[in-house]
Amino acid sequence: MTIDGYCTLGVDREYDLTESALLYGMDRAGVDRAVIAPVDRYLAVSNREGNDFILGTAVARPDRFIPACSANPWYGDAAVEEVRRAVGKGARLLILHPFVQGYLANDELVWPLLDAASAEEVPVYIHTGPPGNATPWQVVDLADRYPSIDFIMGHCGATDFWNDVVDAGKAGHNVYLESSLARPFSLVARLKEVGMHRGIMGSFAPINELTFEWDQMRRVLSPEDWQDVCGGNLLRLLLKRGAL
Amino acid sequence: MIIDCHTHWGTVWEDRDREDPARWLAMLDNHGVNRAFLLGHYNLHRSDQCRADNDRLARLTAKTPDRFIPFGTVWPQMGEDAVKEARRCLQTLGLKGLKFHPWLQGFSTADPVMSEIYDLAGALGAPVFFHDGTPCYSLPEQVAGLARRFPRTRFVLGHAGLLWSWRSALEAVRHPNVWACLCGPHMRAVEVFCQRADPGRLLWGTDFGFGFTDSIAYRLNLIYRARIDDALREQILGVNPLRLFEK
Repeated sequence: MTIDGYCTLGVDREYDLTESALLYGMDRAGVDRAVIAPVDRYLAVSNREGNDFILGTAVARPDRFIPACSANPWYGDAAVEEVRRAVGKGARLLILHPFVQGYLANDELVWPLLDAASAEEVPVYIHTGPPGNATPWQVVDLADRYPSIDFIMGHCGATDFWNDVVDAGKAGHNVYLESSLARPFSLVARLKEVGMHRGIMGSFAPINELTFEWDQMRRVLSPEDWQDVCGGNLLRLLLKRGAL
Repeated sequence: MIIDCHTHWGTVWEDRDREDPARWLAMLDNHGVNRAFLLGHYNLHRSDQCRADNDRLARLTAKTPDRFIPFGTVWPQMGEDAVKEARRCLQTLGLKGLKFHPWLQGFSTADPVMSEIYDLAGALGAPVFFHDGTPCYSLPEQVAGLARRFPRTRFVLGHAGLLWSWRSALEAVRHPNVWACLCGPHMRAVEVFCQRADPGRLLWGTDFGFGFTDSIAYRLNLIYRARIDDALREQILGVNPLRLFEK
């Protein structure tokens, strides 16, 4: 099964991905399923509104979409409650975007959300990269503190924290490296060092074009690595909570 | 005509090919890229190699003058010697501009020595090309601050803000002496730049040459797949790069 590890569904500012457009792109690229996440506005505020949109879309096409949810930890207990609610309604990943949501990734502010993610057995996807709210080593801090959680290092710190990715990946055994923005031509060398079993293909559509990113990844991965990076590894994490 | 406005004569290429650009140029040929802004690499990593690498860029260009548009660098930590070296690059070696990577080279864009260099470049009509998108010395708004202070000097944001500062880069290019090289932002940001920025000050590049990896294919495909007017794409790829050097 091929899975796109991160797509942003919805229309807001530079985002313009509709359900039908995403399905069209997935079909063209040969992608079976895609993780869908809310647009930035709904990561920062109005989390419930964004989560409900994603969950409602996924319910209509459970064979194609894997819903992710988010809550801004600044909402405190309400954020924890929102994560529990969204996961209870079918969300299979928790998304954190420290740059957009306004904190450092390894701030204790996020611990209550991680407690919930751990209890619910959902992987946590963290957007990483400049300006420094979320770096590869901050993800490792979290991974140390929460060894039961699988952390997905979104974008692998692209671009300026690329120097840290290999060492951080080796240090965090429950850290997975997601490809979007890290560019396929750059990422593969890092995955060879950390291990192909820790790579996750994500297009970050519509910020990147889905079919283009999948075409590019196809150019650089061997057939055996393709199976793991382009679906197998993420599927393994998702199944810890149960069947999709 | 396609001009790649962001390439490097990388340390790995120099170590292997010893000033023979044939294999490096073959990579450009594979993708139909005609010319390239050629930036150094040794001179960005090691201050003790700065002068030698500037000389090397001049020699490489002399071998294939129709392919390379070379940029030298200096280290402001060297004080007045840096200003002298900048003048040597532009007036003796014939390099066409100056490239700075404050993150790698470890200086602030606000370094007082740099002021003399910005002035010199402005007086000679040589663009100043920055790595940008990286805190704390290489942000687009910092380069925009220079553009305010040195209105005669043309500044290039070598990465148009990279992936997370592209909105700052879009603000920076409001200044008429700031140009943006679309080498780093994702496809959607590239499309927004093409909608909102002055189309006459957009460039395209690949950062090819830091290693042996072929980064040209991805970035060339990106600019062709992005939803950009064909005429504007041609302008970015082949016309604007030469306009950058017009007096």
